[in-house]
Amino acid sequence: MSDKQFMRETLVEGAHAFKAGKMDRRTFLTLCGATGFVSATVLAGDAEAAADHVVMWNWGGQSEECHGSAIGEAFTAATGKGLKFDTSGPLEGKIKEMVNSGNVTADVADADLFNAVSLGPTGHLEAIDYSIVSKDKTLPGYALEHGVSIILYGYAFVYDTEAYGDNPPTSWADFFDTEKFAGQRSLYKWANGSLEAALLADGVAADALYPLDMDRALNKIKSIKDNSLYWGSGSEAHSMAVNGEASMVMIWQNRGRNIENDTDGRYKLVNNQAIAMPGAYIVPKGNPAGRDAVMKFIATAQEVDAQLKLLDCLGMTPSNPAAFGSIPEDQQPYAITSAMNIDKIVYNDPEWWGKNGGDAVNAFLEAIS
Amino acid sequence: MNILWLSVSDPEPGLGNYANLFESEALPRIIWTTVRICIITTLLSVSLGYCLAYAMVHAYRKEQNMMLTFLLVSFWISILVRTFSWLMLLGRKGLVNEWLDAIGIISEPIAFMRNELGVLIGMVHYMVPYAVLPLLVNMQTLDQRVMSASRNLGATGAQTFFRIYLPMTKPGIVASVLLVFILSLGFYVTPAVLGGGKVLMVAEYISVQLLITLKWGIAAMLAALMLFGVLVMLWVMNRFMKLSTVFGGATS
Repeated sequence: MSDKQFMRETLVEGAHAFKAGKMDRRTFLTLCGATGFVSATVLAGDAEAAADHVVMWNWGGQSEECHGSAIGEAFTAATGKGLKFDTSGPLEGKIKEMVNSGNVTADVADADLFNAVSLGPTGHLEAIDYSIVSKDKTLPGYALEHGVSIILYGYAFVYDTEAYGDNPPTSWADFFDTEKFAGQRSLYKWANGSLEAALLADGVAADALYPLDMDRALNKIKSIKDNSLYWGSGSEAHSMAVNGEASMVMIWQNRGRNIENDTDGRYKLVNNQAIAMPGAYIVPKGNPAGRDAVMKFIATAQEVDAQLKLLDCLGMTPSNPAAFGSIPEDQQPYAITSAMNIDKIVYNDPEWWGKNGGDAVNAFLEAIS
Repeated sequence: MNILWLSVSDPEPGLGNYANLFESEALPRIIWTTVRICIITTLLSVSLGYCLAYAMVHAYRKEQNMMLTFLLVSFWISILVRTFSWLMLLGRKGLVNEWLDAIGIISEPIAFMRNELGVLIGMVHYMVPYAVLPLLVNMQTLDQRVMSASRNLGATGAQTFFRIYLPMTKPGIVASVLLVFILSLGFYVTPAVLGGGKVLMVAEYISVQLLITLKWGIAAMLAALMLFGVLVMLWVMNRFMKLSTVFGGATS
């Protein structure tokens, strides 16, 4: 685990011992000093100390500020409870480890909907309470027993307008056609989206994607392997485009917008056949703030107002159909469910990914390495 | 201990995870990639490190101090910064390729980065300072009179080096090889970035199994395998020479 996480765990342990009277004040403060935190932050980070706030586990960066302004403020106004953050990134393995250790410090994780399918049945997640959270305020099929989709993000791609000026690529088929469109490609390394894109390029119909034909997808991926790079994080993909390492880069839409801006329009986003991924809120089993508080928080995030603010601040597209009509004009090209994009997109199946995701990622890694 | 237990108990009790090693086509390939890259890195780093250490020991006091400072300063630079600096230097649109293109030597950019060569360049660069330190300590303790005696008795410079100097620095070389090889095995950031996703090494694979695919049994099995691999290596080394001398103990 990372140093940051180790520090945090040390401090949380310390805070417990301090509260239980097993550690004196001086030792505790020394510990705080040694790990580089002032005691106020430590006590704030120790969620179990008080149930007057909800701890959101997200990916840091801008999301801390955006989740605060889009959801946190409305949530505090309605319930009087605050919102705090753990920005270490709720990867599936970390959630499992946290619940297994019995030391759950986060209330809600900003994760993927397929995490709800893989971690739910193994008892690592609280079920969503649909008397508080609404099934109608997300897309059909994206309100599952252990998680509900709050936002959508999409796998689209950007291309270099200087390389393909008059005859730009318009679909995944073009993306995978290295004869007609020469140049390096860059795909997502953790298989998600890359597999769907390969199948779409190979002529599979959008509504017949699942269950994914792994062999067919991997063959397509391998067919352009010599011209491909693979990125593992958004910033890596960003730098591959900005530094001109690849002529077409598969990318999340909100990142695509940043790339367009950073290259002064040299790279352009293509939304046709973008693959919509349901980003979901899931609740680790035994969360400290209690089930009721966290369900209210999730319900707040479903509101149209919060949905539009998340789009404005983070570039994450609303999943609540009531918000689709209110997407502002200038955001339309970058919002996957906007009127101009919604008919062109393909929906990810979280059930398939939840059950087969692990094997799919490994098969993908084996194919590209 | 926990890891050993996990490797035989998750997802189901038994040696299934270890059997995977023989059944799967990919695992041996990943391990082979790792071992191959680590061996090449070690050879290059220790050779370069040897030259550096040799130069340092035989430099004037003042220059020696300056070189040592530069060496230590390099430890302060974060691995991420170094990795991305290489991309800016040697990437497709990096300084070197642009320059070569401008003076007309190449028409297509040379693929230095985002492949195995890139990983090797990045890793060797990171490991050289680690290789130098044990060698430096070893060389500084040598009795210079032995070399003078050898020359005095009629040996040529090359003979003195290969028959006297090199054998005497063997403990330093072994320590340096062990240090670099073991550190390389755990390398994670550099291969992931400079390899462009195509160079998959064991350390990264373990982290994927832990965090993304939740195959903790496989991760534990690979971790245990690496642990035993290192222990076996130490044991073999110990057969050839007393390891205690490498780690600074007295020669008996």
